[in-house]
Amino acid sequence: MQPMIKVENLTKRYAGVTALNGVSFEVQRGEIVGFLGPNGAGKSTTMRILTGFIPASSGRVEVAGLDVFENSLEVRERVGYMPENNPLYVDMRVSEYLKFRSKLKGLPRAERKERIPEVLEMCGLTDVSHRIIGQLSKGYRQRVGLADALLAEPDLLILDEPTIGLDPVQIRQVRQLIKDLGKRHTILLSTHILPEVEMTCNRVIIIHHGRILASDTPDNLMKTLHAGGLIQVEVRGPGSEVQAKMRALEDVESVNAKIIEDGYVRVALTPKLGTDPRERIYQTVATNGWTLRELTRTRTTLEDIFVQITREEDEAEEERREQRRSVLR
Amino acid sequence: MRNVPALLRRELNAYFASVLGYVVIMFFLLVMGVSFVSIVGELLSRGSTQLTVMEGFFSWFWLPSLFLVPAITMRLLAEEKRAGTLEMLMTAPVTDFEVVLAKWLGAVALYTLMWAATGLYVVILRHFSGEQTALDLGPILSGYLGIVVIGQFLIAVGLMTSAMTRNQVTAFLIAFALLFLYLIAIWFGYYFTRGTTAGKIFEFLSAFEQMNDFQRGVVDLRPLVLYASGTVLALFITTRVVESRKWR
Repeated sequence: MQPMIKVENLTKRYAGVTALNGVSFEVQRGEIVGFLGPNGAGKSTTMRILTGFIPASSGRVEVAGLDVFENSLEVRERVGYMPENNPLYVDMRVSEYLKFRSKLKGLPRAERKERIPEVLEMCGLTDVSHRIIGQLSKGYRQRVGLADALLAEPDLLILDEPTIGLDPVQIRQVRQLIKDLGKRHTILLSTHILPEVEMTCNRVIIIHHGRILASDTPDNLMKTLHAGGLIQVEVRGPGSEVQAKMRALEDVESVNAKIIEDGYVRVALTPKLGTDPRERIYQTVATNGWTLRELTRTRTTLEDIFVQITREEDEAEEERREQRRSVLR
Repeated sequence: MRNVPALLRRELNAYFASVLGYVVIMFFLLVMGVSFVSIVGELLSRGSTQLTVMEGFFSWFWLPSLFLVPAITMRLLAEEKRAGTLEMLMTAPVTDFEVVLAKWLGAVALYTLMWAATGLYVVILRHFSGEQTALDLGPILSGYLGIVVIGQFLIAVGLMTSAMTRNQVTAFLIAFALLFLYLIAIWFGYYFTRGTTAGKIFEFLSAFEQMNDFQRGVVDLRPLVLYASGTVLALFITTRVVESRKWR
């Protein structure tokens, strides 16, 4: 089946700045894909190109098999877009605004009458439908943006930082809404909040400095990139001996011990890739007669992976630059 | 062109949802009311002159044009760019030209509406003038035609400057400067070069001279063509400027 989004070798240059550098990816129908990257990585630029707001410098971008530049209007009819910072006409009432937008999106009158109350309900806006958008809280405004994106029942939803600036309760509501929407729409959303991706997306695309660094399910990324996580142990025993015995263990990559109060030692262990030395740790503690009061494994979060990947990339970039410099000398 | 009615309706609502529409109309009626009263007063004290009341009144058209047209147009595209709503607008299935056209139509509608309010002056004049000096409606109507024909072009120029910046004040000042050049500088040019070939060109271009004809009941095709083409050009440039995000 044809992918919903197909991006090939996409490059975007602004005067002197390369915002995107040879980006390629695909999004299949029905997927919820998270676009992940620090500020300025190129997320919004990619989304603006996908929605036909700005064109690419080079490369090919297709939505539902249509070229976004040549068939711009047809693509826009199929996409529900919520831009960064969710700009709205603040002088309009919610229902008025949605009516205006549904006209622009070409919904016939009968459909409009049915659809507007539907999206109001879906986004929890029914109670504020008569209020002026400028007087609504940020959470409600965000939902107005979402309601607008949903109006024409688009095949594809593109949401640029849908939860930014919301309080924790609102964030939960919006995430739940996105999850529900994922059952009927293909969704591409961007964020720099990592738990968001872990919770809502089937797949993650990590973008940094205008390049794609990784693209996989959150679970796979965690497995392949950094399996073990950290193991934390707290035991009562002689500090140096504890450290030495732990270091001698099989499957342990590195150890960091620190004496804390009452003769307790806190040890942080990094296990080797794909191993779990917790059992051995317990045995060592038991045979030495130390007292154990904590043995925990912290799961690697997407956050760790993200930091790791972007740091590796930055280091590689620095190296390349260094090489170039030495060549010049 | 399918989206123009919806866009136009939004434009008209926007004028009256904020104070801007009311402020513009209030200032306009204040200035025009004062000039109307002073013209009537002067004519009553001096007795009959060459000039009719409405001719005197129409000759003040440049004042609201110079100040109020930039005030009407400054917001149109500059504010959409600043607030980011242009992105939301242009990612709907709407063409750039539809947006530009609707904004121009909305401003022209407001401008026409505020001038239409001065139609009340005609009613007042008619009521008090008595039968021996019954008003000739022909020149009055052609005078209003001139007002709208010139005004819609000035609005197109104002819209163009609004597309060039995201700052409303900048848009106002550039529009003001351009309109000043067009209305005042060309007239000065005409004043100092009268009788020469250059003077003929300036005379043809001068809005004051055209307005003189219009308010005397002379509807010449040439200024109509001039302003129609001027507007088409300005709207074309505006559309290109809005599109320029695509090739910058």
